[in-house]
Amino acid sequence: MFHLRLLVEYFKQYMKTRMSYRGDFLVQFISNFFHQGLNLVFILVVFQHTPSLKGWSQAEVIFIYGYFLIPWAIFSSFLNLWSFNDRYIIKGELDRVLTRPVHSLVQVIMETMAPESLIGVLTGGIVMGVAGWHLDLDWTWYDPLLFVVFTLGGVLIYAGIFIALTSISLYTDSKSDIQPIMFNISNYGRYPTNIYHKIIQFTLTWILPFAFVGFYPASYLLDHGEWKIYALLTPVVGAAYLAFGIFCWNRGIKHYRGAGN
Amino acid sequence: MLKMYLEVIRIRFLMMLAYRVNYYSGIVIYSINIGVYYFLWMSIYGDKPSLQGLTAVQMATYIAVSWMARAFYFNNLDREIAQEIRDGTVAIQLIRPYHYLIVKAFQGLGEGVFRLLLFSVPGMLVVSLVFPLDLPGLSWDWLKFACSLFLGFIINVEVNLLTGVLAFFILNNEGMIWAKRMIVDLLSGLTIPISFFPGWAQAVLSYLPFQAISYLPSMVLVKGLSGDAFWHALSVQAAWCVLLAIPVQLIWLRARKTLIVQGG
Amino acid sequence: MRSIEARGLTKEFKVYQSRPGLKGAFRDLLNRQYRTIRAVDAIDLTIEQGEMVAYIGENGAGKSTTIKMLTGILQPTAGELKVNGFDPHREREKFVKTIGVVFGQRSQLWWDIAVQESFRLLKQVYQVPDADYKQRLDRMIEVLDIGGLLDQPVRKLSLGQRMRCELVAALIHQPKLLFLDEPTIGLDVLVKENIRRFLREINREFGTTVLLTTHDISDIEALCSRVVMLDQGKVIYDGGLQELRRNWAKGKKVHFELAREVDMSELEARTAGMPLRWERKGERQVVLHLEQPDLAVSDVLAQIVQHVHIVEMQIEEVSTEEIVRKIYQEGMTLA
Repeated sequence: MFHLRLLVEYFKQYMKTRMSYRGDFLVQFISNFFHQGLNLVFILVVFQHTPSLKGWSQAEVIFIYGYFLIPWAIFSSFLNLWSFNDRYIIKGELDRVLTRPVHSLVQVIMETMAPESLIGVLTGGIVMGVAGWHLDLDWTWYDPLLFVVFTLGGVLIYAGIFIALTSISLYTDSKSDIQPIMFNISNYGRYPTNIYHKIIQFTLTWILPFAFVGFYPASYLLDHGEWKIYALLTPVVGAAYLAFGIFCWNRGIKHYRGAGN
Repeated sequence: MLKMYLEVIRIRFLMMLAYRVNYYSGIVIYSINIGVYYFLWMSIYGDKPSLQGLTAVQMATYIAVSWMARAFYFNNLDREIAQEIRDGTVAIQLIRPYHYLIVKAFQGLGEGVFRLLLFSVPGMLVVSLVFPLDLPGLSWDWLKFACSLFLGFIINVEVNLLTGVLAFFILNNEGMIWAKRMIVDLLSGLTIPISFFPGWAQAVLSYLPFQAISYLPSMVLVKGLSGDAFWHALSVQAAWCVLLAIPVQLIWLRARKTLIVQGG
Repeated sequence: MRSIEARGLTKEFKVYQSRPGLKGAFRDLLNRQYRTIRAVDAIDLTIEQGEMVAYIGENGAGKSTTIKMLTGILQPTAGELKVNGFDPHREREKFVKTIGVVFGQRSQLWWDIAVQESFRLLKQVYQVPDADYKQRLDRMIEVLDIGGLLDQPVRKLSLGQRMRCELVAALIHQPKLLFLDEPTIGLDVLVKENIRRFLREINREFGTTVLLTTHDISDIEALCSRVVMLDQGKVIYDGGLQELRRNWAKGKKVHFELAREVDMSELEARTAGMPLRWERKGERQVVLHLEQPDLAVSDVLAQIVQHVHIVEMQIEEVSTEEIVRKIYQEGMTLA
């Protein structure tokens, strides 16, 4: 309850500052659409040369991509930690955070959140909707419910891995760009996982479980039963990785060296 | 003068060495990307032996070569320039006895040389062991590739200088820089060889500078372009090097004027 | 009740050492060399509730590192530490509700939003009841005279304005212990005076313990009765400001202007056996250095005044600042 009230309070402050830079808002919207557009262009060009990708049609691959965008958008709105190293370690704002009576990670998340990225949910929804409309899918009453659960699970997986990666910054006080790795690995999740080598499939399922943020849940919604069990595991994997991320963070805070030593 | 530029390269080289976390994360990122695109393209090929004039093996080679080439030509000069403009340090650069943009370009070269030696060359050796590639042995093709790659580097630097200097006029050009990066990756042929685009798109792309950054150098090596085809590719690149220098210099002069008027 | 109790408090850092030259840089890429630095070396420190203590030392002496351990930011490498009855790092979230922190060089407020919005956010963060919040805030706004700044974003405030707002932010939850790291650095005299008066007031009224690091000796003179001095991670002095002065202000300086030129040897001969030293400054100007605090100026005068005609005389007390500088230079041999 306390954290929820705090979130609302931070959100209000966020809106107030954001409103003073309205130009950025627009730029962000446009570049988001633009980015998604370019990725769609890639898929469209690729399918000019093949009718199917290891058994997946163009519409299905686009549907998976659309689904993939949704957890990603929610994740990037609430875990906008890309400049954590620069802002909190090098400029030393973590010192301030650590003198406040709220868990340090909660504070950092609230101070950096960027809810405007939620626009990606809309983009993803549209892409998924258009592709799904071409596909004649079987929707049951509990599918929307599962969709929500899958999405949340995906967000937690991203959050856990991202927090774990970000925690590395707590061990060094030099400039380091580890987080772009996150952005690049997640690319694996937006294509059907069965196109990859067996070792990579295993990695994407059990080590860096990016198959759960796009492909597994989307394939379930596409009525491909083969990965049903994996899809249903999404929230479990999400919870496990979030716990792992928080564990890494808490350990990192113990090693934190303070700013300007 | 040349001594000073060599020093700029050396300093940047040492800086790159100092950020060792970045070095290792760079290796991971490039491996990830080569992996994604390799498997994606191999499943597009399926049983088809060849598409758009490239065999499956040539395609795999293309992916490896173009990503390793990217390690050389890629840099964040645009972001650095925008940053220096925003925090005002560019004003200090202006009173120094050199051309700011040329120094930036040499910094980019230092970065490129660093990644070429410590990243692309060993990376290429590893990749050629993991994936079945078709690389030329010891032949003139490598020298031709080197020339073409260097011109690609210059074009990319010019594009970056242009985007960076625009920060003088568009204060928050973060979005533009991001968009430029994605456009360059897509339209330079890095993720899709130009020959895979529909005919009309190929026609449009042939009038843009991006293909000269990645597609042309990679094709020089992968297809072993020779004779006229090679000289044609090289002259297209050279033409872009010269053409792009004009807007860079013009916008820079405008920017300097506004800087002097506003006093930074 | 003790505010701070530390025994053998130690903090070590691993520092990365780069090898020289290009070859060294390549080797660093694969294998780094580290050196361990002991920033804080087995400090014992006890501070009672309600004390105002100055924590001083040169840059790099370990002041900030100590403060960061005391505030829960850093985990000590070794030693026992209880602050307000808590283990600061382990029980951080509960503990920090009982302290207030002001870092002079770094803002505690949110840069982009108005000052009062920052206060509101802090009210939520510290869960301060509405009535308390209003009462405390009104009072502090009045005393520190920041009423006109409340709707300004922090980035637009001057340093002095910001520092007063920082104080309010640090005290909104009425902590029992207040840490101030260089609170008056770069401020003008009026603001300094205002802040000091305010600090004395809250100390008197609420018994707030104050631990202050500073380079400005006048802060200490105005606020603190006790001084803890740190050098190379070790406490080299812990005691009253008066004692520090008495022990180190070995003596006074007396400037004389004489009616005629006098031989130094004459002055020396007349005061032979006394712990003092004469120094010639000009033709008729001499300086007398009294080298022990219990030697009175009058004793010296009694010896010379009948033989030497004194036109003017001025007694100079050694300032605390000079004492501190001297200690830094010579090291503490007396303590």
